[in-house]
Amino acid sequence: MGESDIDRRAFIKQLGLIGQGSLMLSALPWLEGFAADKQKELKGEKAKIAIIGTGSRGLYHINNMLSMSNADIVALCDIYPPHLEDAAALCPKAKKYTDYREVLASTDVEGVLIACPLHMHAPITIDALNAGKHVFCEKSMARTPEQCKAMYDTYKMTGKVLYIGQQRLFDLKYIKALEMVHSGKIGEVVGIRNFWFRNNDWRRPVPEPSLERQINWRLYKEYSGGLMTELATHQLQIGTWALKRIPDYIMGSGDIVFWKDGREVYDNVNVIYHYSNGVKMTFESIISNKRYGMDEQILGHTGTLELAMGKYYPEEPKQAPGIQQFINQIEHKAFDNISIAGPSWVPETASENKGEFVVDNVKTHDGSNTTGAVGDGSIELVSSFCDSVISGKPIPVLVEEAYYSSILALLGLQAMEEHKILAFPEEYKIPYLNHA
Amino acid sequence: MKDIVITGKRLRLEGLIFTGCFIVAFLLNVFSIVFYKTEWKELYTQLLWVICLSCLIYFLFLVLRLLYFFLKRIFVAIRNL
Repeated sequence: MGESDIDRRAFIKQLGLIGQGSLMLSALPWLEGFAADKQKELKGEKAKIAIIGTGSRGLYHINNMLSMSNADIVALCDIYPPHLEDAAALCPKAKKYTDYREVLASTDVEGVLIACPLHMHAPITIDALNAGKHVFCEKSMARTPEQCKAMYDTYKMTGKVLYIGQQRLFDLKYIKALEMVHSGKIGEVVGIRNFWFRNNDWRRPVPEPSLERQINWRLYKEYSGGLMTELATHQLQIGTWALKRIPDYIMGSGDIVFWKDGREVYDNVNVIYHYSNGVKMTFESIISNKRYGMDEQILGHTGTLELAMGKYYPEEPKQAPGIQQFINQIEHKAFDNISIAGPSWVPETASENKGEFVVDNVKTHDGSNTTGAVGDGSIELVSSFCDSVISGKPIPVLVEEAYYSSILALLGLQAMEEHKILAFPEEYKIPYLNHA
Repeated sequence: MKDIVITGKRLRLEGLIFTGCFIVAFLLNVFSIVFYKTEWKELYTQLLWVICLSCLIYFLFLVLRLLYFFLKRIFVAIRNL
């Protein structure tokens, strides 16, 4: 039994503890595969997986999968030889490919895990689903809204398994926090704030100039939507998950403020998503200052959740025991000075309420790791994909959530590029949530 | 050195006084729970505070009793002059 299996067992155990076991699973249908009876059915079987794209994120998944008892990496594919060799060193028995179509033609492969640059997500995913393979594709879904819709339509048409790398859906602290939102613990949700701050140029070393666009694909519009598709998609999903609706208007502003190094994508963005009930969700990202790190904050009228930190802050902190309040009041009346005049205006700086953790043993990260963090749900997500490959059954909700988070990111990008307030386009609505 | 003798009667009296102080402190806890709308489990979770409050009340009552004792002695001494 590998480390990932231990993580997974701990996840199932904690999932049972934070909710009421099966009751919790019924409210989170994408986690049904973790139910004890489903696990029993799949015991001992392995999914034959091909990894397409063996760069940093691909290697992260490979490392995790090597210690999963339900995964067998049978093929590796990448057009960049050094990356392919790095992966082959970890999986010496896997066949090596440089053309993904050859992978899809192989009868040994049951599922593919796609971790290549964004502009290739849609063509490979669509070809793979049409070839009868189950697919795990990293987020964002695709480079354009049209491609996202085409991926979604192909998924529905083929009936094959499709997973998108929205690991927050498998992260315990997020699951518990959203359960608190839906149970009314923080009251009515009145705002959502997402931010991701870093201080680095987002560049990777390039061995020769001709490989610049291939390696630093995140910096060029042809391949990437920059901060929106690489970072915002993770966080924008929180809006759909928490509010169970999609926004009606999107507006924003983006610029290259600091890293004027020939890149085409913004290094400084600010986007607002407006919902029909008046609630706004914001996304802000600057990659030349890291003071505030990253987080998603759900603001309710009786409490606030900081999702990445796994913390809950009630608006009114839990009051002291009655007897202590009584003694304090007597003490104040006896010894406090009588105020003659106080300040007419008090600056409302943040309270020093330390809050409380939503689950035990919260694992957090500062967002500086671009390939994956410990305990962020990635292992559980990929393991669940392997289970689905074995069973051949798609899971509900995940693709729909991922679809809307990708569309929101791309619409935010479009609003910034066109300097317009965009209404959510009808053609990109799917039968889910408030458009079911 | 003179031995201080605490009689059984005195011990019983002091015990009764402390019990009275404890009951007063306990009732103050009940009042606080109702007044500040806190949880009823504080009846037992806050017992340490109740005991501390009992000691405080006992001590204050002791001061009053000693004061009464000394004043009484002073008055008796003046009357006997």
